[in-house]
Amino acid sequence: MDLAQTFETWREMMLEGTANVWQTLYVRFYQAFIEGDRWQQYLEGVGVTLVVTAIALIIGVVLGVLVAIVRTAHDQQRPGRRKNIVLGLANAICKIYVTVIRGTPMMVQMLIMGMVIFASSRNYTMVGALTLGINSGAYVAEIIRGGLMSLDPGQAEAGRSLGLGYLDTMRFIVVPQAFKAILPSLGNEFIVLLKDTSLISIIGGQEMVYFAKNIVNRTFDAMFPLVGAAIIYLIVVMIFTWLQGKLERRLRQSDRR
Amino acid sequence: MIDVKNLSKSFGDHLVLDNITEHIDKGEKVVIIGPSGSGKSTFLRCLNLLEIPTKGSIIFNGADITNPNVDIDAMRRHMGMVFQHFNLFPNMTIQRNITLAPVRTGIMKKEEANEQALTLLRRVGLEDKADSYPSQLSGGQKQRIAIVRALAMKPELMLFDEPTSALDPEMVGEVLEVMRELAQDGMTMIVVTHEMGFAREVGTRVLFMDEGKILEQNTPGEFFTHPKEQRTIDFLSKVL
Repeated sequence: MDLAQTFETWREMMLEGTANVWQTLYVRFYQAFIEGDRWQQYLEGVGVTLVVTAIALIIGVVLGVLVAIVRTAHDQQRPGRRKNIVLGLANAICKIYVTVIRGTPMMVQMLIMGMVIFASSRNYTMVGALTLGINSGAYVAEIIRGGLMSLDPGQAEAGRSLGLGYLDTMRFIVVPQAFKAILPSLGNEFIVLLKDTSLISIIGGQEMVYFAKNIVNRTFDAMFPLVGAAIIYLIVVMIFTWLQGKLERRLRQSDRR
Repeated sequence: MIDVKNLSKSFGDHLVLDNITEHIDKGEKVVIIGPSGSGKSTFLRCLNLLEIPTKGSIIFNGADITNPNVDIDAMRRHMGMVFQHFNLFPNMTIQRNITLAPVRTGIMKKEEANEQALTLLRRVGLEDKADSYPSQLSGGQKQRIAIVRALAMKPELMLFDEPTSALDPEMVGEVLEVMRELAQDGMTMIVVTHEMGFAREVGTRVLFMDEGKILEQNTPGEFFTHPKEQRTIDFLSKVL
């Protein structure tokens, strides 16, 4: 007996009320994932999730690095000297950006972007990715700034005292050490970002939750599609956590005693 | 070699260096002593512009390094500096710690720098540590590597900022030994230290600083046996 036939028979029984618990579960599982090749929709959803995460990550890292550079450069100006006005202005803008983004809920930002600022756009997924990127940038900026500030200033001084220029000192001494220090926080931010892609479904972005909800509406059964989506998120996050752990172990080489 | 004129430095309202004028010749081993907060470290750090002086000028080999148009990186290549806390780069092997600056600044090819690093390491008895990381070394070993790292740039002048203050007592000797040998080779040295024995033995001149001024200076023999200022006498009676 093939799976589809079993499904048909047991569904009849379920509608008549004569199916047992296992038969009912089988029918619900089949409806959620196999009927009409619905598993393809989940896969498509995961694909969109990954693409949106990647786009948002790029936007977030670019914004975050820029903001962190401006804020660090501003804070590191020598006391008692005249401040650079352009830098002061840029710093003020960056501060407002970080404050607003960190001070308002992700969901509200998403709704404002989708329904106010880009109200006429039909490309919901990309609007969602942009929103996530802008949101992530504020957090990444603070993570990077923290990493740069946590490094002993003696490290940069040692580099400069050897006659290395500012850029070489940053490239070989400060950034590699700061990067190692912030990697756990950065990985955490990445995972938050990956999960927050689910929010783009509220403005019509077509990722996994969007498809799962559609299937719920078709089958009038919420459990399997939603739990299924949750498990898929969990698996993806676990894969990335594992990769991050590997990278951290590699970077820790110099700590061995 | 280095000419300091009317050097002042303040952090905010706090005046740390008060109008210092001083000249240091090639081959001198100048030891700077004084109570904490007297400005001796700040003075040393001003000499290679790790602190930007508020006023005054510093002439090194005929160029005023406080002039913003002077390439300070090029100037620093001629001045090595050794820090209290070593400041080795923990993300690199010892070999790379030593060769990074000579190679990146283009004064040596990589092979040449590697070879030099080994020669220098052999000189301080640490040639087997070339592939270790700083976290695997003791404090004394780290400081000896830090000296080697500065020497790899072939500097004309070495600045030492309390090089033994962060070390366990039993490791002070090995670092001072390296510095002693360096002095014998004729290196010009400016050393901020609390090691009075070293000052007396190796120094050619001792400067006593207090409240941002050089209060008294003399040859070590005279300085330690016949201090003139009351403040110097008080200080020496506490540390000797």
